[in-house]
Amino acid sequence: MNLFKKAVLCTMLIGNVQVSPLVYAANAVAASASTSTTAPPTPPTPLQPSETLQRIVQKGVVVVGVKTDYRPFGHLDANGSHEGLERDLASDIAKRLGVRLETVSVSSANRLQRLEEGAIDLVIATMGDTADRRRITTTIEPNYYSSGTTLLMGPEHHFKEWAEVRGKPVCAVQGSYQNRPMAQRYLLDLVIFNNARDAKLALRNGRCVGYLFDNTGVQNDLASPEWAGYSAPLPPAMVVPWGLAIARSEQGTDFERILGDTVAQWHREGFLLAREKAWKLPESKFLKTTHDLWNKQKADGTSLCVRQPDGHWIAACRNPAFLTTNDVDGLRALGLWFRELTSLDVTIAYDEYDRNRFIKGLLLTISLMIACMLGSLGMGVLGTFAANANVRGVKPMVRLLAVYGRMTPTLAQMYALYFGVSPLLQANFGFSLHPFFIAVWCFCFYTGSFIMTALMDGIDHLRETQPDFRLTVKTLKVVLSTANGAVKSAMINTAKGSMLASAIAVPELLATSTAIMTDNGNTAVMMNALLVAFFILIAITIRIIEWADRRFISNTGKAT
Amino acid sequence: MTASEIISVLWTWTPYLIAGFGWNILIAMVAMAVGTAIGAILAFAGVSSSPNSVKSSSVVTELSRNIPSVVFQFYLAIMLPSSVPGWIKASLAIAVTVAGFTSDYLKPAILDWRAKEYSKAILFVPNWTSYFLIVVIVSASASLIGVNEIISRCAVVINATDNVSIMLPIYLYASLFFTAFCYSLNVAMRYLRQWMLAKAKSAKANSQVSPTPIKATTETSSSPFIPSTLTSNK
Repeated sequence: MNLFKKAVLCTMLIGNVQVSPLVYAANAVAASASTSTTAPPTPPTPLQPSETLQRIVQKGVVVVGVKTDYRPFGHLDANGSHEGLERDLASDIAKRLGVRLETVSVSSANRLQRLEEGAIDLVIATMGDTADRRRITTTIEPNYYSSGTTLLMGPEHHFKEWAEVRGKPVCAVQGSYQNRPMAQRYLLDLVIFNNARDAKLALRNGRCVGYLFDNTGVQNDLASPEWAGYSAPLPPAMVVPWGLAIARSEQGTDFERILGDTVAQWHREGFLLAREKAWKLPESKFLKTTHDLWNKQKADGTSLCVRQPDGHWIAACRNPAFLTTNDVDGLRALGLWFRELTSLDVTIAYDEYDRNRFIKGLLLTISLMIACMLGSLGMGVLGTFAANANVRGVKPMVRLLAVYGRMTPTLAQMYALYFGVSPLLQANFGFSLHPFFIAVWCFCFYTGSFIMTALMDGIDHLRETQPDFRLTVKTLKVVLSTANGAVKSAMINTAKGSMLASAIAVPELLATSTAIMTDNGNTAVMMNALLVAFFILIAITIRIIEWADRRFISNTGKAT
Repeated sequence: MTASEIISVLWTWTPYLIAGFGWNILIAMVAMAVGTAIGAILAFAGVSSSPNSVKSSSVVTELSRNIPSVVFQFYLAIMLPSSVPGWIKASLAIAVTVAGFTSDYLKPAILDWRAKEYSKAILFVPNWTSYFLIVVIVSASASLIGVNEIISRCAVVINATDNVSIMLPIYLYASLFFTAFCYSLNVAMRYLRQWMLAKAKSAKANSQVSPTPIKATTETSSSPFIPSTLTSNK
């Protein structure tokens, strides 16, 4: 049954074929399935049969990851289903394979994870083909499109060169390949968001001077009336070709071969140029030159771009250069050696850039924790004094605020301040709230409410034995020591929750670790490092708080 | 956007938001169920006569205390296969914290029960319910790993409305769901706890058994809900 399906698949592929490479691949598939009776003309490099391709044929469906936030390459139509140039490509591949197409939404941050997990068979999601990516995935050659990085900037900015943007805040989306090299090369101060929507919103709110993005995406935004007055005059930097990607383990399989041959067909037949036109994209130089290249013929009339015996296309038809070449110094060499040996990629140990941002994230997390804990304690104590002051109407109001504070998700409060209040302040008074401040404020409000309620309960408890007990600065210690269990746990809790700040682009440890992870693909290493780091941080926090309680609160509490 | 336009947008999307809040409650309930089961095992191990059980119980409780549920949620979201739905990953992450809480608070309750102070032991119930409210609020962080709960749905509403001025009202409106739900349950719990405390006091007056010393916990705060007899160190 399996073999039969494979044979059917081969026939279908051959049906589409005009030139040799695809026949070659199809023959190779047939040979590996031992159904072919005629040997291929030249001895081929043995192709691995692809598990993914087998599954696709068995199930009769190919699952392709496409984007939803990158019009017109991958976006949603009015009914919420995928459409775009890349979906057209996916649909053509499904047609050629003779199977049904299923598309799955992916983002820059998760597309390669989904691929490695086997949740999707193939990624066609505006992915730049870089040397780093090639380490963690199998990219299909030839490339099918290309783009460069540019900056979408507001009407008030008129940068002419990248150097002028140096040190300025620039909004970016987590997981984009250009983030790290652009930050390194032009010393940009990147403000990284989870998705394109939040990053663009932040640009509109004046949180950054520009939005770092592929020129293809920016061109499309500029065309819409929503972005009137915005411009992208900087020359595209770091031009990168885009590639289809399949799982790393699929390297050298018949699946890789068939996809490569399909993309070659697209270039030869002008399919990509036609789709580009259909989606009203400005004409890309890359597609034009590639189309010409792949239609070039040798003197004997055969195609110039053919595969060599080792399976690669001839050098003239390959991606000429990759973007980054890493200098190998002592520590890096050691790290790479360790990776070869254990397959653990500890970039935070050997890579200076990753190490620095990990340490920066760690320091920021620590300051966030300290600010949240001390702020909450202060807020709780202030609230308790306010509620105990003999001013009419204050007590019920403070109590009400405390109820609202502790019964509202901090995340909702942070979003409301960051996206709701701060832009209003910006528009009316010309200043915006710093995300770090917003995060600390929200945590203090939430935890302060808990602490206040605990202190009020403590006072009630003291009044059971001392009916005339009054809260003063002197008796505060007694109250704190009465309620110390609840106060301590509230403070530890706020330290544990503080990494929610990453949701509003505070680059603390959680945000930095996910960024490092998406840059390098060392998911397991980074997640475990993160867990251990937080475990240690919280353990230290608990000990410090217990010590502070014994030293400053409880001993005096017992004496009175 | 005028006030009436905003209200009409909020009203139109209310059923959608309520359905999202249903996910929050589901996540919280599953987290409580799983966490309580694990915590109960830890608590019984913690009061058993075998020193090994006591030791391993305290180590596991300590572990569950020290891992922030948001970080653990990201950990599970990325390390578990994508075939596991996001809301289950969120529930499991929160369940770890619940297990720590249950272990800490069930232990004294078991001791009370064995000392025949039944009415005091049963105070675990309102404490547990109050903790459920905290977990409902914490469940909002599931939106960070893409669970389609109420906070995620706010972003959908903002996208669909395509008007920036809806952002503040929508998040405040969503937070009111939490406040309303938690406040009503909290009032009910307050009455239940007062009634139980009164019962415990009268039982104590009758039997004159000295109260079991209880170590104040450092686990997740539930301060307003914990009777002051538990938090004081007199």
